[in-house]
Amino acid sequence: MSSQKKRSSRIEPFRHRVETDPNFFEKAWRKLEDAIGEIYNHNASGLSFEELYRTAYNMVLHKHGPKLYDKLTENMKGHLQEMRTSIEAAQGGLFLEELQRKWDDHNKALQMIRDILMYMDRTFIPTNKKTGVFDLGLELWRDTIVRSAKIHGRLLDTLLDLIHRERMGEVINRSLMRSTTKMLMDLGSSVYQDDFERPFLEVSASFYSGESQRFIECCACGEYLKKAQQRLDEEAERVSQYMDAKTDEKITAVVVKEMLANHMQRLILMDNSGLVNMLVEDRFEDLTRMYSLFQRVHDGHSTIKSVMTSHVKETGRNMVTDPERLKDPVDFVQKLLNEKDKYDSIVTTSFSNDKSFQNALNSSFEYFINLNNRCPEFISLYVDDKLRKGMKEANEEAVETVLDKVMMLFRYLQEKDLFEKYYKQHLAKRLLSGKAASDDSERSMLVKLKTECGYQFTSKLEGMFTDLKTSQDTTQGFYAASSDLGDAPTISVQILTTGSWPTQPCSPCSLPPEILGVSEMFRGYYLGTHNGRRLTWQTNMGTADIKAVFGNGSKHELNVSTYQMCVLMLFNLVDCLTYRDIEQTTAIPAVDLKRCLQSLALVKGKNVLRKEPMSRDISDNDNFYVNDKFTSKLFKVKIGTVATQKESEPEKMETRQRVEEDRKPQIEAAIVRIMKSRRVLDHNSIVTEVTKQLQPRFMPNPVVIKKRIESLIEREFLERDKNDRKLYLYLA
Amino acid sequence: MRRSSKKSSSSSAAAATAGPTRGVSKEIERIDQLFCTYADSSSSVIDPEGIEMLCSHLEVPHTDVRILMLAWKMGCEKQGYFTLDEWRTGLKALRADSISKLKKAFPELVQEVTRPSNFQDFYPYAFRYCLTEDKKKCIEIPVACELLNLVLGLQFHPQVDKLINYLKYQNEYKVINMDQWMGFLRFCNEINFPSLDNYDSDLAWPLILDNFVEWLREK
Repeated sequence: MSSQKKRSSRIEPFRHRVETDPNFFEKAWRKLEDAIGEIYNHNASGLSFEELYRTAYNMVLHKHGPKLYDKLTENMKGHLQEMRTSIEAAQGGLFLEELQRKWDDHNKALQMIRDILMYMDRTFIPTNKKTGVFDLGLELWRDTIVRSAKIHGRLLDTLLDLIHRERMGEVINRSLMRSTTKMLMDLGSSVYQDDFERPFLEVSASFYSGESQRFIECCACGEYLKKAQQRLDEEAERVSQYMDAKTDEKITAVVVKEMLANHMQRLILMDNSGLVNMLVEDRFEDLTRMYSLFQRVHDGHSTIKSVMTSHVKETGRNMVTDPERLKDPVDFVQKLLNEKDKYDSIVTTSFSNDKSFQNALNSSFEYFINLNNRCPEFISLYVDDKLRKGMKEANEEAVETVLDKVMMLFRYLQEKDLFEKYYKQHLAKRLLSGKAASDDSERSMLVKLKTECGYQFTSKLEGMFTDLKTSQDTTQGFYAASSDLGDAPTISVQILTTGSWPTQPCSPCSLPPEILGVSEMFRGYYLGTHNGRRLTWQTNMGTADIKAVFGNGSKHELNVSTYQMCVLMLFNLVDCLTYRDIEQTTAIPAVDLKRCLQSLALVKGKNVLRKEPMSRDISDNDNFYVNDKFTSKLFKVKIGTVATQKESEPEKMETRQRVEEDRKPQIEAAIVRIMKSRRVLDHNSIVTEVTKQLQPRFMPNPVVIKKRIESLIEREFLERDKNDRKLYLYLA
Repeated sequence: MRRSSKKSSSSSAAAATAGPTRGVSKEIERIDQLFCTYADSSSSVIDPEGIEMLCSHLEVPHTDVRILMLAWKMGCEKQGYFTLDEWRTGLKALRADSISKLKKAFPELVQEVTRPSNFQDFYPYAFRYCLTEDKKKCIEIPVACELLNLVLGLQFHPQVDKLINYLKYQNEYKVINMDQWMGFLRFCNEINFPSLDNYDSDLAWPLILDNFVEWLREK
């Protein structure tokens, strides 16, 4: 080496001598091309994965990525076109099979190709934002095969045809369906939706539209709903078997719309088989099905609710306004209870205890029960019947259940104060005649009323019970303290606190001397221990037990009312009396006396007296005798007061008037209470507030409220505002 | 026939007080004299008989509304009786000290009373004036009808006419109280008649008017 000028030593980079083989790409590609061909020919086993991978790798490294990609695309297209030809050639049922087979092949091939070209997939493709190998393969499949002119339509038609046949009852190859739809899904959800799902839904819609039309012409509602349910179940199953899960919701919506929503009104209102018919005949199964099916329809439940409501209101109205029904109050109420039971079980069984349905029922009941203003009276009579001796439900639990049900009806009443008045009357009668069957049941009913309406409602009623208990003690005390009673009849006194008991004006009658004596002794005893009180004998409410010996020798013990006792005792002194005689001697008021005599002389089996003439009516000069031919199978004969009847018209008017009178102070109290706290209020607000406050007891009439306000203005509790005419002011 | 006066003339009293001029005190004297002309000697008030005489001198029927207006002007408390103080108040305000001047003062008095601000006061006054006893708060229907006619008849003839018919026809109310009386005036002032289109029974009108309107609408 010749010495040279000093140069800085440089380390030269190692230069790999790459022989740029001009045919490198061609050679490499051919290798791959052949390999791909083998792969598609199911001949992949002979290939060396490693070599192929390396080849591809090198190509990419040498910046042949783009060319490789394009060649690949072209190549795959070519193979796919071949496949297409064979698919197109398939006949009939083999079409789907061939498609499936080729799809499998393509998938397998794609995987291998992707593996081979992995390097390109990971480097070239992302950098150049190209579709990955696998996805490219799918896209090519989609475009070359699925969406090709000849295959596209045929594929869809085939699928839809198979589905249609299955709907009509044929058995089809479900696994083939499954793999076909899966293929579409693999190609992308938009492919599945555009190329299958949407047309499927459209075709289904027209199918079900037609079917529903046919069914509805010939089927009853219940039958139709059964079929609709079947179809819904079927479609759901179909989807789960060979479609994408997301289609379930959509096809269900289609079936619901075509079979149910479009025909909803017609179905529900169908004559002889629609909702009303189902309700009337308690067809629980059909009702349950209707409830669950129409849950899916917009406004389905509200339609059912409104049809049910108007039906219940209608039948209810007929029930309470039917004059035949009104003849027997107990039966009337029983029918109401039965109706309530019926609908309760429908709501529980078929409407899964849906609260909104329960509420709709409640408002319907409330509506029609208040159409008849005798309901408060009748319900009280029903309870009276149940609480008397000799009722059918012997055991306590059954009575409890019945009372609870009655309370449900009670809640619907708007005029609860009217009920209270009747209940008091009936309770008084029960207690005084000793007809209350079970003290426990009576008290239980009181507790229920108290829970519902508050202490005020029942405080007086409870007072009645207390009075009886105290009276028992007092009578005992009287007998203990009085030793000189001798032969006097035994009395049992019930002392009623005025105010707790329903008031009945009572004109005194002349008691037989034996009774008079001992009763005055009792009065003396009582007033001795209770200073400052006043006792008035209520001769229209008592009873007496009399021993009678008749002319024919028969002996009986008669249970009679006080009035009847006064009349009968007269015959101890004389044999014959005219009506006028009796009237004068006993001083019993005419109306009561006539009724009393009728019950003694004109009732078969109880005619202890004889009347001449035998006419029904009683005139002044009619003669009365003891009926010496009287017989009865029983030793003890009851001729006493009749069971509690429903009121006659005049009595009813009177009770109502009294209730209206009672309401006036309550309304005034409410007005004053409201104005005291609000100070200034306009007319409509007062009416609203008053109604709200008094609703638990009764519904106040706005005209009555206005009158009360005016009365309060006159008495200077309120005044009108001078500037704003709508306002009232509270005057402290 | 003139009644002899037992009351002594008050001219000496007027002269004794400082302040009022001769002319004014003369007026007061004449007013008082005029009072004595009609007053009852024992009770020193003008009683119904005296008022009747006054009216005949004024040539005004004693049931005329102008007498009522005069009573209002005077601030009369008791129907049918004028006290001296009331007499003085009224005539002084009207600047009348003789029958002729009083007569001439009437048109102006009527105008004054019918002015809305004064009418609002005159109208309830008319009602109170008719309460015959101290504790009473209501007047009977026939009296109320008369009074309505007198007081509102001119201004609101159609309404009053119908209202009077209704009051006579209905039998729910036997008397009218102040609240209802005031209601009548408001009704005439505010409600379109005979259309009744702006009557709202939900508002705080007295019930008697609700019933009246319903009766009218039914016809």
